[in-house]
Amino acid sequence: MSYDFLMYGIVNTLCVVLVAPLFVSVVKKVKAWTQGRQGPSVFQTYYTIAKLLKKEVIYSPDASRISRFTPWVCMAAILVASLFVPLVYVTAPVGGIGNIILFLYLLVLARFFMALAGLDAGSTFGGMGSSREMSIAAVIEPTTIIVFAALAFVFKSLNIIDMAGIAATTGTPVTPVLILLGISLFIILIVETARIPVDNPETHLELTMIHEGMILEQSGKNLALMEYSAAIKQVILMALLINLVIPWGIATTLAPAALAAAAVLFVAKGLVLALVIGLFESSMAKMRFFRLPGLFVMAFFFSTLIIIVEVFA
Amino acid sequence: MPGLLFLIAIFIFLAAAAIAFAGAGRDSRISRLLSLACVAGASALLLLFALIVLVTGIPESIPAWQPFPGISVTFFIDRLAAFFLVLIGAVSACVAVYCTGYVEEMEGAGRRNILCGCTALFVPAMALVVASATTISFLLFWELMAAVSFLLVMYDYADAGTTRAGIFYFVMTQLSTLFVMLGIILLFFATGSFAIAPAHVTAGSLPLVTAAFLALFVGFSVKAGIIPFHKWLPYAHPASPSPVSALMSGVMLKVAVYGLIRFLVAVFTPDLWWGMVILIAGITSAVLGVIYAIKEDDIKGLLAYSSIENIGIIFVGIGLFVIFSCTGLPMLATISLLAALFHSLNHALFKSLLFLTSGSVVHATHTRDIEQMGGLASRMPVTSALFFVGAAAIAALPPLNGFASELLVYTAFFESVTVADPLIKILLFVCLALFALTSALSAACFVKAFGSIFLARPRSQESREAREAGRAMLAGPALLAIACVVLGVFSYQILAGFGYIFPIPDLLLVSVLLLVMGALTYIILYVTASHAERTSETWGCGSLSLPASAEYTGHGFSEPIVTIFAPLYRTKKTVTKNYYDRHDCIVAGGTAEIRLVKFFEEYLYLPLARGANRAAGYVARMQNGCLDTYLLYVFLAVVAVIIFLGVTA
Repeated sequence: MSYDFLMYGIVNTLCVVLVAPLFVSVVKKVKAWTQGRQGPSVFQTYYTIAKLLKKEVIYSPDASRISRFTPWVCMAAILVASLFVPLVYVTAPVGGIGNIILFLYLLVLARFFMALAGLDAGSTFGGMGSSREMSIAAVIEPTTIIVFAALAFVFKSLNIIDMAGIAATTGTPVTPVLILLGISLFIILIVETARIPVDNPETHLELTMIHEGMILEQSGKNLALMEYSAAIKQVILMALLINLVIPWGIATTLAPAALAAAAVLFVAKGLVLALVIGLFESSMAKMRFFRLPGLFVMAFFFSTLIIIVEVFA
Repeated sequence: MPGLLFLIAIFIFLAAAAIAFAGAGRDSRISRLLSLACVAGASALLLLFALIVLVTGIPESIPAWQPFPGISVTFFIDRLAAFFLVLIGAVSACVAVYCTGYVEEMEGAGRRNILCGCTALFVPAMALVVASATTISFLLFWELMAAVSFLLVMYDYADAGTTRAGIFYFVMTQLSTLFVMLGIILLFFATGSFAIAPAHVTAGSLPLVTAAFLALFVGFSVKAGIIPFHKWLPYAHPASPSPVSALMSGVMLKVAVYGLIRFLVAVFTPDLWWGMVILIAGITSAVLGVIYAIKEDDIKGLLAYSSIENIGIIFVGIGLFVIFSCTGLPMLATISLLAALFHSLNHALFKSLLFLTSGSVVHATHTRDIEQMGGLASRMPVTSALFFVGAAAIAALPPLNGFASELLVYTAFFESVTVADPLIKILLFVCLALFALTSALSAACFVKAFGSIFLARPRSQESREAREAGRAMLAGPALLAIACVVLGVFSYQILAGFGYIFPIPDLLLVSVLLLVMGALTYIILYVTASHAERTSETWGCGSLSLPASAEYTGHGFSEPIVTIFAPLYRTKKTVTKNYYDRHDCIVAGGTAEIRLVKFFEEYLYLPLARGANRAAGYVARMQNGCLDTYLLYVFLAVVAVIIFLGVTA
């Protein structure tokens, strides 16, 4: 492994870990504003995680090893996945790190364990969350893969790091296809991070929850790990959207000044995207569960359209 | 020299069969164990031989037996055949180890010896099909394989369900043989030879060759369980003993895959539309297979449908191979063919692992219904861990082997934008989307399977009292589980070792990264976080003790998917109500019925069977038992022959 790539890994992981909770709180803040509330501080997620780390872990007597392993596996899988998406610095990928299919399946790995942990405690809520999560994941998968195939086609590469490199160096002009891809990536971001209209991250009401239902039985540091990995997943999906569609400012050298500038720019772009997500969520109502496939089919045809436009243009 | 190894292995198999049958009358335990040990040893020998051929790449030819001029039984093992022999040897050895424990737990006295003996014939039959150099010997051992596997399915013959399943299997497997035979005869008419060698196509023989391909394709599809010829799998697998299911699903289906690949590569020069037919058949089986799998409550039925799905994925690889080789993309064609081959091996490993461990579970809980299981993770810890490896591999989780082969399929699909023809491009994109759907549904399916069997609380008395399986029943699956992990983690290195270097990720690096990230998280939390831990009841909305019936079951788990794909399941709901009043306000009572239409059975199999029955009725009228009528037939036949000879002369 080259020195450059090692540095890339360290810089990227640090950035991801540091900024991930911020964006979660910002989205909450925006939603609070639109509801006329002041909302919690933008650093609230950091405080919550610090608090959870100090608490004891409670297991159900029915829980097996799955409950004990899941938080670690989720965190490890999401952290490895975070290596696949450059945040502030881009270099040549090594050993297939950055492969877009592997990226998708690392998220599946985390989801598989999370769904099993939901079933593990024998609680009805957890099982309901797992069942819905796996169903939604199955229905959105064709859309995701078509969008990824379109990305691979537009950038002529299967590697996200390469794609970001191409986007950064050529300074891709904003083509219609890229805007359409941006919209598709946004839909995937909303679905994968369990947001309205698919899921409601605010509530623990059994009729609406999916992701929250699955982690209902988690506590203490395990819950902290689950919350943190969800935050990291959100930030890497945001980075995927940001660095492919509006890549300006990403560093291509390891100079500290360039890195700092890139980091500031990324946080700024991320805040704008978080604002958009918050406003988007506030402007919608949660959809009934069985209406969701309709939404996904729309997203699917939308992304197929991109492919057809691109392929036959 | 290595050829001798192959012959020795075959003879040990035959000896194993003889030993087992000899002890049948006395219900001899020693003869069973000895026979299974021979099967395990011979399979290992077969594996060794195949690995030698695979690594050196030097094909082995084994002397022929020629009963008639032009008709010979000859064996020829090249790399392709050796690859499938590796698959057969590896899985059979592990199944034989498992069997030594399983057979002793079974009921049926001396019949168990027959089971061992038939297994000892079944494995070499499959190996000899793969090793055949002529179509005649291919057909001969194909039929032996079919007959022996029928006997294995019928083990529990006293059970009405088994008899039905056995008959169903027998008819379907003979149908398969019939089509393969037809294909081979057509091929003989086209080429004038029974050798498995390139068929030189002339303008005159083109229709014959095409017909031969179609007949062979149908024959292999029936055996491999491609939809709509799949119905025998979900009948035969639950009915037969678990090691037999493991062998049939893990290995026998792959022999059909081998047949298709062998004839495509060595005999035919495929056309583009052949590839499209194979691709569409594959993707249909993959999607429908997993959709049916997810609603199954019978654990072995679920695994059977999942086999249909995986065979579909293999056919997708083969279809892509044909399409890419016809459109002049040799690199992608190689990736696709390797994907098909690699997935065949991987599916053989993890599906036999799943069948064996579910056999242990069924034995421990005395039921195949996953709704009656639950909570087995703490009662059968090793079995649950082994099943988990299989489930994770089949759900294509990185870095296991299932992911490694699906990654190759995805890579072929993603790179396929270089295909020129826009219509093929569209077809490939649609198939890519469906393939992704299959993969995600199969993850959901195995979350359901593992969750309902092993997690939460036991839902029946038997499951509460379940005990861990014996040592032999853990050792066999453990070997398979290790193979699943190794083939996944080292997939890049293994492919590179055989000279196939593709732009795919190095899963070894990914595994190391996963471990590093996990370790880093652990160290940081070890330093910063609290270590306090407590056990407390699951929250039950305030009720003091939650009954096991309140937890989410397999049925509940799959309900959203069943509802979303309702049109595919063809469920018929009928509700009739009667009312007390004229305005239909006060309900007096009524009936409601939900019925799952067995689509292929009711709309395809049964009409065909009825048609065949009716045709047989007409034919039967000719045979009226009257001598005069028969003399008339003979007379008419003689006249016809005379006229025919006269005309041709």
